[in-house]
Amino acid sequence: MYDEIHFPGQHENEQVILFLRRHWFVFFMRSLSILAAIVIVILLYVFLVTFGQNLHETPYYNLLLFGESLATLFIWNFFFILWLDYYLDAWIVTTERIINIEQRGFFYRDISELKLTKIQDVTSEIIGVIPTLLDFGNICVQTAGETERFTFRQIPNPNYIKNVIVQLQEKEKKSEEKEMGRAIRGEEI
Amino acid sequence: MNIINLAYFLVILIYLAIGAAIIFHMLRYKINRHAAMVMFAIYSLGSLVLLIFNFSFFKMVDWNQIFSLFTL
Repeated sequence: MYDEIHFPGQHENEQVILFLRRHWFVFFMRSLSILAAIVIVILLYVFLVTFGQNLHETPYYNLLLFGESLATLFIWNFFFILWLDYYLDAWIVTTERIINIEQRGFFYRDISELKLTKIQDVTSEIIGVIPTLLDFGNICVQTAGETERFTFRQIPNPNYIKNVIVQLQEKEKKSEEKEMGRAIRGEEI
Repeated sequence: MNIINLAYFLVILIYLAIGAAIIFHMLRYKINRHAAMVMFAIYSLGSLVLLIFNFSFFKMVDWNQIFSLFTL
C-alpha cells in the first residue's frame, strides 16, 4: 500500500503500515490566507480600473499590472512554502517503530523515532467542533519509564490509528518475548 | 533608471533565493517521489511563466514618465 513511501534509515524488511500527514482541513485553513491575498490583488485591480479616471491611458496602468504581477509571484512562492510545510511533516508507523518527521521552516528538520516495544500508553484526543465533524485529532504516545511523549498532530481517524498502534505494539512485544524465551532456552533464533 | 533596474534585480534575486530553497526541499526530502516530482514540475513551470510575465510588465512601465509625474 505504501510502496512509494521511502524514508531515510529504512531497514531491510521493514514495512510501512501507516503513513500519516495532518488532515487536509489544516492545509485548507492555512491556504485561506493565500486565497485572501489573491482576492485582494483582484479587488485592487477591479477597484482601480473602475474608479481610476482613464487609468488605461495613463502610465500608471502598466505600473499597476507590474505591481500585481510581482505580488502574484510572491503569493505563488508563499503557497508552495505552505504546501512544503504540510507535505514534509509526516508520521510513519512501520512494523518496528514510529518515525516522526517534522519540518520547521526552511533548513530545520527534526526526525525522531520510537521503537514499538518501548510504548507504554497511547491516547487519542479530538478537540473542537470541526475536528469532531471531520474526524481528526491528536495521538499521544507515552514511552516506558520516561516522561517523553510522541505526539501525532491533527491526523485523520485518530481512534483507528491508536488501535492500529496498540495492536502493532502488542504483536511486536509478543515476538520479542518469544525471541527472548528462545535465547534463554539456548535455541537458535 | 539604473536604480530601478537594480531594485528590480534585487527583488527578483530574493524571489529566486526563496524559489531555490523551495526546490531544494522538494527534491531533497522526497518522501513520496511521484508527488514531489509533480509539484516540482507545477512550481517550476508556474514560476517561469510568472517571471516572464513580470519581466514583460516591468519593461512596459515607462519609469521616466512615472518619476517625472511624481516630481510635478
